[in-house]
Amino acid sequence: MDLATLLPFLVNVIVGGLVLGFVYAIIALGYTMVYGVLQLINFAHSEVFVTGAVVGFEVFRILAPNPMNGYLKLLIALVSAMLISGGLNVLIERLAYRPLRNAPKLVPLITAIGVSLILQDVLRVIEGFQGRFDLTYTLPDAFGVKFCAAESSCVGVGNFLRTIGVDLQVKDVILIVVALLSLTVLNYVVNRTRLGKAIRAVAQDRVTAGLMGIDSNLMISATFLIGGALGGISGVLYGMKVGTLNAYSGFEPGLVAFTAAVLGGIGSIPGAVLGGLLIGVIQKLVSVMSVLGDLVGSKNLATIDDSYSKMGAFVVLVLILIFKPTGLLGKSNTEKV
Amino acid sequence: MPEATLHRTPTTTEMLALTDVHTYYGHIHALKGISMTVNEGEIVALIGGNGAGKTTTLRTVSGMMKPKHGTLTYQGQNAAGIPAHIIMGRGMSHVPEGRRIFKDLTVRENLEVGGYTVTDKALIEQRIQEGFGFFPRLKEREHQLGGTMSGGEQQMLAIARALMVNPKLLLLDEPSMGLSPLFVEAIFDIIVKLNRERGMTILLVEQNANMALEVAHRAYVMQTGEIKLSGKASDIAQDESVRKAYLGDD
Ligand SMILES: Nc1ncnc2c1ncn2[C@@H]1O[C@H](COP(=O)(O)OP(=O)(O)OP(=O)(O)O)[C@@H](O)[C@H]1O
Ligand SMILES: [Mg+2]
Repeated sequence: MDLATLLPFLVNVIVGGLVLGFVYAIIALGYTMVYGVLQLINFAHSEVFVTGAVVGFEVFRILAPNPMNGYLKLLIALVSAMLISGGLNVLIERLAYRPLRNAPKLVPLITAIGVSLILQDVLRVIEGFQGRFDLTYTLPDAFGVKFCAAESSCVGVGNFLRTIGVDLQVKDVILIVVALLSLTVLNYVVNRTRLGKAIRAVAQDRVTAGLMGIDSNLMISATFLIGGALGGISGVLYGMKVGTLNAYSGFEPGLVAFTAAVLGGIGSIPGAVLGGLLIGVIQKLVSVMSVLGDLVGSKNLATIDDSYSKMGAFVVLVLILIFKPTGLLGKSNTEKV
Repeated sequence: MPEATLHRTPTTTEMLALTDVHTYYGHIHALKGISMTVNEGEIVALIGGNGAGKTTTLRTVSGMMKPKHGTLTYQGQNAAGIPAHIIMGRGMSHVPEGRRIFKDLTVRENLEVGGYTVTDKALIEQRIQEGFGFFPRLKEREHQLGGTMSGGEQQMLAIARALMVNPKLLLLDEPSMGLSPLFVEAIFDIIVKLNRERGMTILLVEQNANMALEVAHRAYVMQTGEIKLSGKASDIAQDESVRKAYLGDD
């Protein structure tokens, strides 16, 4: 075994896993925040997320001939996706979930699956009218190049990463920066602002929050807006990462992100982030098992390829749920009234 | 009941008036035609045995429940069936039965949420400090999660939280529940102080009828969803049947 090749390889696996994990984390936040206020698994979130990815695709497509700065295009894509996905999520709650607020839990759950299926086809029809099915992102050229290719173009952290052999593209770095910014803003809003405290109060005890003068319906809408906006951001990031997607592409990352939310403890915001990052790294590790096998001179791992990566995530989920059913950072729910 | 007994009070301006109010839980007829008034500046005690409908009365007043029949006015305006979050924005505050502290918010955050309808940040801070003045224990526990506080501490927090809006009308549902005798004393002192110094109008539900009748101007006695007796608190405290049923006399 050659440590000099193994170590940089592992570092790259972990960094690559984290990049993927950040996307899962931001998607997972959408599931966990809505669950936090309504105890509802919003299965339509995967389509809210894909809507963001489609909006991102459209913005980059329409702006492709425009000579403006690539980062400005990115900003327009992100803001449009946030607004449209956020607005869509609010609308879904208002039209599909609110009328069922007092129905048995299973009813809104089935409704959510229905909304998810409807949205898939609506997106397909919208793009289909323009003769498209698979949507391939046309990213600014600057996003596709290697990050910190030469020492001269590097400073600080970038230089350090280059020295230890981390291989990233500019768009990966964009993804990490956008994700970290989103998490920071979310953390501030939820923990420091009047809105965030009101949302948490509604999540914990809707009736008593009403006694504090808080309009719980308004706060539930706000939660869907924030969760949807995060879905929009993650959609653009996902689109940039995978390059090509279609109206049905939300299902798989949605399921993985939902798994991440459960792994971290559904309802817990830090849990969703931790779960997302963990699942990202685990998936990446599983998908490179055969390469790793070569490096350590084992033939047994050679048959494990990328198609096993989802399984890796679910195996971990099953184990966690056996040993800690509330998830890594989740609290026991027994006291809930 | 004779009208005269209702109005021997500090002021005669009606803060709250219920007339023939009926409230249901599904098919359970919990309030069977309640009529009562609370005048500005009064402390009114509402006493009665378990399941009499005291909590339901407060819930109806604060908009947590909608009365099926009857009229309910607050500050001269209809308040029946108006959602709690709107009524609460009009200067009413309700310390609910069972305290209902936000378990995953810190003590300070609970107070901040209590002041949700107050938009002036400096005023919120001032009221938090006032709350700490009433209950120094809360200051020591400022950054502790509400759910990890003792029952008595949670009761103090619930009261301090309700005071964040400096309400005109304060509804208290068994504020002395779960408190040691020393703290019961302290809570009642605070109730009297709020009334005397700030002119706060208080509707007080209590199992501790002795204490409640001591501080109240007037009282209503409830039994199985109806008002059985009303009048000056000192008269009620002398009433033979009340003494037997609620004041522990043999
Ligand atoms: N959520 C509910 N669902 C159904 N019935 C209820 C509910 N809450 C109260 N009741 C019923 O309504 C009646 C009045 O209850 P309420 O809670 O108002 O009594 P209370 O006077 O506050 O009693 P306590 O002193 O025990 O708190 C009781 O018969 C009770 O069983
Ligand atoms: Mg009660």
